[in-house]
Amino acid sequence: MSQQFIQLVVSGLAVGSVYALVGLAFIMVNEATGVVNFATGQMVTIGCFLAVTTGLQMNLPLAPAYVLALAAMALFGVAFYAIVFRPLQDRPVVTVIIGTVMIGIVIQNAALITWGSVPFRPRSPFGRQVIDVFGAALSAHALFVIVVSFLMIGLLYLFIYRTAIGARMRAVAQDRDAARLMGISVDRMFVLTWIIAGLLTGAAGILVGPMWFADVNMGDPIALKAFAAIIIGGFSSVPGAIVGGVLVGLAEMLGAAYISSTYKDGLVFLVMILFLLVRPEGIFGERIGQRA
Amino acid sequence: MLKVEQIGVAYGAIDALHGISLEVGQGEVVALLGANGAGKTTLLRTISGLIRPKSGGIRFEGEPLGNSSAETRVKRGIAHVPEGRRIFPGLTVRENLDVATTVWRRRGMSAAADLDNVYALFPRLKERASQLGWSLSGGEQQMLAIGRALMARPKMLLLDEPSLGLAPRLSEEVYRRIADINAKGVTVLLVEQNTVLALEVARRAYVIENGHIVLDGPARDLANHPRVREAYLGA
Ligand SMILES: Nc1ncnc2c1ncn2[C@@H]1O[C@H](COP(=O)(O)OP(=O)(O)OP(=O)(O)O)[C@@H](O)[C@H]1O
Ligand SMILES: [Mg+2]
Repeated sequence: MSQQFIQLVVSGLAVGSVYALVGLAFIMVNEATGVVNFATGQMVTIGCFLAVTTGLQMNLPLAPAYVLALAAMALFGVAFYAIVFRPLQDRPVVTVIIGTVMIGIVIQNAALITWGSVPFRPRSPFGRQVIDVFGAALSAHALFVIVVSFLMIGLLYLFIYRTAIGARMRAVAQDRDAARLMGISVDRMFVLTWIIAGLLTGAAGILVGPMWFADVNMGDPIALKAFAAIIIGGFSSVPGAIVGGVLVGLAEMLGAAYISSTYKDGLVFLVMILFLLVRPEGIFGERIGQRA
Repeated sequence: MLKVEQIGVAYGAIDALHGISLEVGQGEVVALLGANGAGKTTLLRTISGLIRPKSGGIRFEGEPLGNSSAETRVKRGIAHVPEGRRIFPGLTVRENLDVATTVWRRRGMSAAADLDNVYALFPRLKERASQLGWSLSGGEQQMLAIGRALMARPKMLLLDEPSLGLAPRLSEEVYRRIADINAKGVTVLLVEQNTVLALEVARRAYVIENGHIVLDGPARDLANHPRVREAYLGA
């Protein structure tokens, strides 16, 4: 294996795990509430820029800067629920979708006013450090992104599948009225869902910042690819989002290097369309049928 | 224990219940009989707080339930086993039972005794503890739905057609368990189309037609009432 190939695989895995985080944010909200949040990409933008504020503008050390940005994203998730989602909750799905699209535009413009149109280059905790693995010089930040993402996904998995609160969240996702009849507060579970969505998108934004630039338009392409990832993975499957995210990340990086850098995004969406044609339920799609 | 006073419910412009009143005493089993579309499910959903009535009120243990949420009513002691069982398909049997302890369970509290109690009533559930909800048979799902409601430690159980879709022997089995549960002090209001079974277990019954209560009285009397015999017993 060539050095370059290993480097590409690592950066593919790194962006892929970011897509997986964002894909999981989509899935968590969609499963719990039955609605796709079209402002997910803008939440990634906000997460990235909050870290710009704490890490660059306030010049805090990166550990507290990240914690502060993530805490703010958790609050942002709750605010999103209280201000946008809750009033829309019992409206027709189309209304909710248009609502989340609109709020996405509002967020994007608010970010433009707050942080300006000139992109920032967020610092990485590892600077430009490279690590030598089998002769390939790998970006320490990319490895950090992979480790942190999979750690978060692992924790999320344990939370959802191994704790009492996680079981309640799944109960609400599966049958809202029956959950209320069991005395579960649907509101509380929704708040929790949005906190998790805020943390996932926030982490995605924080991690992706030093790899690319922090630009107020960064959210859309990330959300689109995360969306492609969950379609490839099987729309409501947690392992599907992870595998789909990694596949999209790899296709993007390897495609850019070996096929065409101009059409790398086209390649990703080609894969997605192929999946829609050949296996519309996605890689892990069967689980959905089994659940119902 | 439960007092429903002049409850009116509408779906949009269409009235489903027209001033329904009924009463269930402490420790009683009361049956609510009626044909398809009579309004039985609507009434139970109103009692448990899933639907808001447009008129009338409900008292539980003397206190008005007002506009309280479904969760609050579970906490007060009303557990509702909904029509069609509605168990959580993607949760295991054990998880289905566990999530129903939400209202009383605090950190460090054990539900082991509650679980034993449910497993003693329905030993099949213990065998299937780690199986996912969707993979249970209809009868097992009904047992799980009832067992799950008991995990909330209710004072009163609302049962919506517990025999629906079950073979006669299984229905009788379920009804014996309902009698057992009642014998332990849980008050029961049950909705049923299987009039014979319901009138065997219930002490009193109400008959509902088109959103009105048209008859009520001791179960024995109703079983011999010409109107009930003609409309619901096929005699
Ligand atoms: N969600 C709803 N929206 C509109 N109308 C409804 C709704 N649910 C019930 N209804 C109507 O209200 C009336 C009472 O329905 P309900 O489900 O309470 O009857 P039921 O006695 O439980 O019938 P069944 O024995 O078939 O379960 C029916 O005319 C029904 O069509
Ligand atoms: Mg009904």
